[in-house]
Amino acid sequence: MPIKTEGSWRARLFPNNEWALVLVIAVECAIFGATGRNFLTAANGFEVARLGVELGLIAFALTPIIITGGIDLSVGSMMALAAVVLGGLWRDGHWPLPAAVLAALGVGLAGGGLNALLIARFRFPPLIVTLGTFSLFRGIAEGLTRGIENYSGFDPRFLFWGQGYVGGLIPTQLFVLVSVFLFYAHLVHRTAFGRSLRAIGFSAEGARYAGIRVARQLACLYVLSGFVSALAAIIYVAHLGQAKSDAGTGYELMAITSVVIGGTSIFGGHGTIWGTALGLFAIVILQNGLRLSGQPAELAGVLTGALLIATILIDRVVRRPKAPQVAQMNAEENTEVRNSQIAVLSIVILLAALIVAGSNWFLINSLRRELRSATGERATAGPAAHRTVIAMMPKAKGDPYFISCKQGADEAARELGVELLWDGPTELDPAKQNEVVEAWITRGVDAIAVSVENRVGISTVLRKARERGIKVLTWDADAERDARDFFVNQATPQGIGYTLTDEAARILGGRGEFAIITASLSAANQNEWIKYIKERLAQKYPDLKLVAIQPSEGDRDRAFAETQTVLKVYPNVRLIMAIAAPAVPGAAEAVKQAGRRDVKVIGLSLPSMCRTYIHEGIIESIVLWNTRDLGYLTVYAAQAAATGRLKRGDRQLEAGRLGRVEVADDEVRLGAPFIFNRENIDRFDF
Amino acid sequence: MKPLLQVRAIDKSYAGVQALRDAHLELFAGEVHALVGENGAGKSTLIKIITGAVEPDGGEIWLNGQRVAEISPRRAKELGIAAIYQQPALFPELSVAENIALGLESGGLLARVNWRARRQQAAALLARVGARILPDREAGALTMAEQQLVEIARAIGARSRILIMDEPTAALSEEETRHLFRVIGELRDAGVAVIYISHRLEELSAIADRVTVLRDGRTIGTYRMEELDRQQLIRLMVGRELSAVFPWRARKLGEPVLELCDFGSSTAGIENINLTVHAGEIVGLAGLVGAGRTELARAIFGLVPADRGELRLRGVPVRIGDPTQAIACGIAYLPEDRQRHGVIPEMAISANITLASLDALASPWGMDFRRERAIAAHYVQRLGIKTPSIYAPVQTLSGGNQQKVALGRWLATEPQVIILDEPTQGVDVGTKAEIHRLMIELAAQGAAILMISSEMPELLGMSDRIAVMREGTIVAQLAREEATQERVLALALGQ
Amino acid sequence: MKSVIWSRYKRELAAAVAYLALLVAVGAVAPSFYSAANLRDLLVNNAPVLIVATGMTMVIIVREIDISVGSQFAVCSVVAGLLAKAGAPIPLLIPALIAVGAAMGALNGWLIGRLRIPSIIATLAMYVAWRDALRWATQGAWVQGLPDDFQWFGLGQSRGQWLIVAAAIALLVFFAWALRNLRAGRALYAVGSQREAARLLGLNPSALVFGVFTLMGALVGLAALLNAVRFATVPSNAGTGLELKAIASVVVGGTAISGGRGTLIGTLIGTALLGTTGTALTFAGINPFWEKAMQGAIILVALISEVALGRLTHEPR
Repeated sequence: MPIKTEGSWRARLFPNNEWALVLVIAVECAIFGATGRNFLTAANGFEVARLGVELGLIAFALTPIIITGGIDLSVGSMMALAAVVLGGLWRDGHWPLPAAVLAALGVGLAGGGLNALLIARFRFPPLIVTLGTFSLFRGIAEGLTRGIENYSGFDPRFLFWGQGYVGGLIPTQLFVLVSVFLFYAHLVHRTAFGRSLRAIGFSAEGARYAGIRVARQLACLYVLSGFVSALAAIIYVAHLGQAKSDAGTGYELMAITSVVIGGTSIFGGHGTIWGTALGLFAIVILQNGLRLSGQPAELAGVLTGALLIATILIDRVVRRPKAPQVAQMNAEENTEVRNSQIAVLSIVILLAALIVAGSNWFLINSLRRELRSATGERATAGPAAHRTVIAMMPKAKGDPYFISCKQGADEAARELGVELLWDGPTELDPAKQNEVVEAWITRGVDAIAVSVENRVGISTVLRKARERGIKVLTWDADAERDARDFFVNQATPQGIGYTLTDEAARILGGRGEFAIITASLSAANQNEWIKYIKERLAQKYPDLKLVAIQPSEGDRDRAFAETQTVLKVYPNVRLIMAIAAPAVPGAAEAVKQAGRRDVKVIGLSLPSMCRTYIHEGIIESIVLWNTRDLGYLTVYAAQAAATGRLKRGDRQLEAGRLGRVEVADDEVRLGAPFIFNRENIDRFDF
Repeated sequence: MKPLLQVRAIDKSYAGVQALRDAHLELFAGEVHALVGENGAGKSTLIKIITGAVEPDGGEIWLNGQRVAEISPRRAKELGIAAIYQQPALFPELSVAENIALGLESGGLLARVNWRARRQQAAALLARVGARILPDREAGALTMAEQQLVEIARAIGARSRILIMDEPTAALSEEETRHLFRVIGELRDAGVAVIYISHRLEELSAIADRVTVLRDGRTIGTYRMEELDRQQLIRLMVGRELSAVFPWRARKLGEPVLELCDFGSSTAGIENINLTVHAGEIVGLAGLVGAGRTELARAIFGLVPADRGELRLRGVPVRIGDPTQAIACGIAYLPEDRQRHGVIPEMAISANITLASLDALASPWGMDFRRERAIAAHYVQRLGIKTPSIYAPVQTLSGGNQQKVALGRWLATEPQVIILDEPTQGVDVGTKAEIHRLMIELAAQGAAILMISSEMPELLGMSDRIAVMREGTIVAQLAREEATQERVLALALGQ
Repeated sequence: MKSVIWSRYKRELAAAVAYLALLVAVGAVAPSFYSAANLRDLLVNNAPVLIVATGMTMVIIVREIDISVGSQFAVCSVVAGLLAKAGAPIPLLIPALIAVGAAMGALNGWLIGRLRIPSIIATLAMYVAWRDALRWATQGAWVQGLPDDFQWFGLGQSRGQWLIVAAAIALLVFFAWALRNLRAGRALYAVGSQREAARLLGLNPSALVFGVFTLMGALVGLAALLNAVRFATVPSNAGTGLELKAIASVVVGGTAISGGRGTLIGTLIGTALLGTTGTALTFAGINPFWEKAMQGAIILVALISEVALGRLTHEPR
């Protein structure tokens, strides 16, 4: 009987049914190609690939670890640690940049070594060890930078690695991704080492009986994973132009998701690097495609969850559980497996159909809406050719502040008959902002208006948008001046900082102690405001003493607890200044529950969130502008800029119900920050 | 009198290997019924079927004259069947009292646990089996003997109509064993039917009323204990005359290759091993399960640390710290548990064959897949592994072919010393003969082979010399000419 | 007898010793830490975490894990707010939220117990799905304008606070008692310790796993409600990072991730240790920047103490 020594190409290439993902990606491409603008272009293809680089590096590093049946949760935190070490050594240690890069990679090796020691040598469960280092690494990064440091201003030659294009088209970091991909593909699939990993994953005990040094192999993997995380951190820093302790937040779970969707079994043994790559792109394309089609980005999470469950169910159907008595099959059962493969195929198709159906439902809805408004427009304005598309981005979609801005923006969009795209990160995430702008450039819009989270990082992308003829505005927070056409200025950081300080001084009568509840310790805006608050204190109020700055992580409940502590540790504090929208009601509630009528709360928040506390006299005042007007004005300015009605040097702008608004050079001014207090609060309904 | 339990025509196969075929058993209330047979005769499988732990492929179970359609562990418990399995099934994190109670208590999940009653019950049961163990100790911290006593206490406490004990005395001292017998006697007098499995034949004559002999998965017959003397019983268990033809032929022995001097391992519980295996020699290692044969093999191969005596290879003393070093020294070990240790069932045949010699395939450019293919194809052909492709996962093969893959893995390392642990267990007759031929061939090429086997004809038919182990040490070495089934078994049993 | 207790509870004792050391150190630096008001606030703030950690302990004892609790918590908070706003009678919220949580937990339990999807994958999927579904549904908006009797169930602040603390303690005590004294509790240990052996003794591991996840969900629902009623509004991003906080508390408290071992007393100590570190740092005048690093170090030290105490009975997972 001739024995086949050639495996079938399908079995060799896709041992874990990864072809299903090719199908999923194809379906995604088909749908988004039809519904998204400029989705199927080479440029978008490269952009999608660029977005996946940091995540991809980490996912590749995790794949062999999961193949051995382990896990590494510390990868995202390792990125943060490596990033701040890089930034710190370079800027404060005055190391040459290449040396700092090497040091960051060294930190990666050391961190991976710690994991390796605890997991391979002491045989602790990887989940717990890396849960510990997950906190530890990010904690050290925060401690080293005191949360505040944001290292930027890197050499352009360094930034080229994250922002540049080779040959004007191919993003530079793609070469890093491809190299690492090839390295891992080789390591996992083409070497004896990779073979031994699989053996360990299927049965660590069985591998030991075959003379494989299990502990040593595992140690290598965890060290390598630390190293690659550091590499990802370097790309991340070059990509955003900044190094901060919040780098890589949440990357571990996204990476694990990609790996598992890519067919790697969490039980170990099965898995391919290209499966991970496919899984990664299935997710990234989903996000990009939804964006280009103007669908809600939140859909991506729900679909990703569904895909995850479906993948594992496929695994479950195709493969039998590992129990020995079931692991044996005779010829009869073999055909059964083939039957179940057919079942799997149908499941995949069903799933794909579900995704299609889901997307279509939204597509139809949005089309219907579009048609309706288009016909409506035709009726009034005649077949006026092109409808202006304005894309507007908040710092975080979930933030109540921005939600209230959106109401104004929607109002203006209705009045002007423009199409408004509203999209952004769900939580503060500078990398995501770049991603969204890239998607808009690809999609082709008339104007982009961004509330900037990371000044340096986003400016490159915004410049690119301007080169493509898109009018770029910033609102709420500015980018670099040459990266945008106009800034819709509601208040400068200086204005906010000074106003808050003056207000505090007024309430305290010029002397006394106060404390600040900020967002996260690494939040850029808040840190800028704090800088101006300190400046103002030094200038004008020597008797006002800032005793503590506590983080709230943008979480109301955390702000509440921190305020409680502050009130007890610093009994002389008479004023709490909360400078994040959810922190103000949190702080007010804490003061109220402590029964401290002698302590006042001021801060930066929305009237609607604070109204009751203001009436109760706990919150003395909040400083803000009319957020709804801000959104409203931004859309008006963007529309005017896009249609050429607003040019640099104009002195004023006609903005609907706001009347004539002052324009100074390249700034559109909403007016000075406004102080809401008991007298005027009820006049505002946002 | 009507039988309490009737087991009729039970068939069961694992991985295409027939563990039981047409097995019968009849059990009456108030008797101690011994179940005997060689290792692998199907005793454990049969009792697992009775307790519902394993589903039979065919056959019927009748209880009290009624057919029991489907039997699960829970159902068995309700029917009044309790068992001690061969492997301890205690929960290491839980206390002794709890381990005993979990098997005994019934009632809903919301029923309350009475700790004091549990402790008292445990203390009483432990006292009854003569064990001095605090009920509050953690089960994981007990010695093997103590764990066994706890299991016995649990089984006795079940107040079941049928009590099954699989090798309950394997780890017990004489004193503890005597105590146990007294308890079993009391239970019998109270009308409980006891199925008792043991390799210690002298025990059986002491407590068993009747005995059923299993051989190769079949029931040979049931006899009254006093009808048989030990010799007859051994003959029934062994069954066949040495009619099977083994390919053994006289060979010229070479230099000593593997020498063990006062070799031992405290973790594995073996000591004072003195054994020499020459080039071209096949040494059989006989003994009962638990006599320390596998432990000896594991210590030689570096899987457990050997901390006593000396191991010499071709006259040179070597220390072996882990299997990697053992392989580098030219030692190969075909383990007993094929599924867990011998092969990695999910991996391809080719990957399994080359797993122990991966270093030889490594090159700066990665693995030499062409050579892997060649090696795998070579051994598939040489060993006659029946498979359509060298990339088929090993789990799709029959037991015999899986064993050939496991063997191929070790041949690929070109070893000088080959330790075979139950090389033909659960393997069909044809493959068995092939493996035997291969052993002779390897020995003729100069390999030193140490074979552990529980199958008497194989031991006698294949070995140049037989070393018999009992209680962690080698008690006798017999030349091929002086070894008989009866003699080896008698030595292994400590007669 | 003494040594039995010591050997069985050494992980818990190690955590307790660490906690005592922390308390003594803080007491020396900042005695005001021990003011009644501070202790009460710590209790109230950590009560919801404790409830979730209670459920998590049981999940980990049966050798599973649940990383979707934070997202479930957020969904339950918003549901609580919406129900109250829609005019549902406030006392009715309690059973309603338990039911909502239990339903989400049952989904996990079905995927894990019945379909045998590894718990880390199933709950990872639910973690992503619930969180994004909630964002999509609320668009980040807070639930505001709740009826007055929503806060503190209309009982007033001090009674409300004690109600929350009492509920958490009562649940802890009840489940600690149940884990020790109910057949179901002991069955969890047995299944987590040796699933196959438990099956042979007639237990039904799949059903138990399903039950534990359902219970976990119910506890999350209750915890979310008790957390929500401390305020007059409900944010849509509640419970971020709760899953890791709960898991870390459980593990620091000595519960083995490999199942079969752990107590709620340990979880109480673990929650207290991780829940007070931040506040203690503030009291000691140490910058909050190092808090995360401290927490990571606590987890690792808890692990390493296991070696120091010579207890390594389990293979890594």
